[in-house]
Amino acid sequence: MKQNLIIIFILLIFSSAIYAQNENHTDHFSHEGHIHEEVINGEKLDVNPNRFDLFIVGLKEAQIAIISVNGMVCDFCARGIERSFSKDINIKKIDVDLSRGKILLAYDLLKEINFEEIKKLIVENGQNATDLKIIKL
Amino acid sequence: MGIFLKLFFLVFFTSNIEARPISYNGGKTVMVLKDSMKNSIYYHYSPTYKYSLGVEAIEDKLLSKNYSYLRLTYLLNRKNTKNSQRNLYLQSGISPSGTDNFFYGIHGDWETRRVFSGFSIKRTKNNYKNYTDQFIQLGFSPYLGEYGDLHSWIMVKSKKNSLSNSWSSYPLLKFFKGDFLFEFGFSNKKEWDAHLMYRF
Repeated sequence: MKQNLIIIFILLIFSSAIYAQNENHTDHFSHEGHIHEEVINGEKLDVNPNRFDLFIVGLKEAQIAIISVNGMVCDFCARGIERSFSKDINIKKIDVDLSRGKILLAYDLLKEINFEEIKKLIVENGQNATDLKIIKL
Repeated sequence: MGIFLKLFFLVFFTSNIEARPISYNGGKTVMVLKDSMKNSIYYHYSPTYKYSLGVEAIEDKLLSKNYSYLRLTYLLNRKNTKNSQRNLYLQSGISPSGTDNFFYGIHGDWETRRVFSGFSIKRTKNNYKNYTDQFIQLGFSPYLGEYGDLHSWIMVKSKKNSLSNSWSSYPLLKFFKGDFLFEFGFSNKKEWDAHLMYRF
């Protein structure tokens, strides 16, 4: 039993170390005063700044749809949503902000974003979209 | 058995832990399971997020028999909130070799990004034995990973089979990254539970 507990702790330390390494990596992309600090309709955008900064790298003439999703509590839950949206040729880039329960979608600036279509796709994956905010870059 | 041999064994052969018994819309899943009662390989396809259809091949250690099930899992109820999800599933299976070998039961879970709880009750009937499996499972995540990170859970599971008529409780670890999930648990009675899952 003691030997088995040692195995558990080794695996946990190993996984925590990998996580910490990833955290340090994303910190390199963090900077202050970016668009994620903006306020839309009196509301501050609730997105992970590091994640957002990384997401908009290389995007020009684009608009970002930030969708709030209920029930997106794990990586597996979000994976189906990402796959569904990846079939949409109008979407240039997709990311998931798991910590804030958001999906980030980058569209061409001229594309009209239809929240009802987005909600339908998310419901088909078993979650619920509750809000949409759009940022034009 | 040496530590590394144990790890190898766990990673490649290792429960009846039915994490996420239905995939997303159009998703396919392969599971390899191992515990003190059986070894099994289970493939299922989810036409929608409400149900999955699958085939399971089982090596039953208790009965020393090999058989298979055609399985249906149906999502009876789901509640999504900003920070949590709750599910209740109907699980069922019938052997293609005869209608006198089947199982049915319910499986439920509630989870946030930090806390997980789950339970299952399953009744199995066949020509040899009739029995009931049940378990409860509680756990927490020691850190909150972002999308694409390695996610880890520390859990405690208690299970009972009506044939043995006693509860056994043991620690369990769950890891997932990308489309892979791996979990295992064990007790001091050399009862290994393990589960390897790939979703695509």
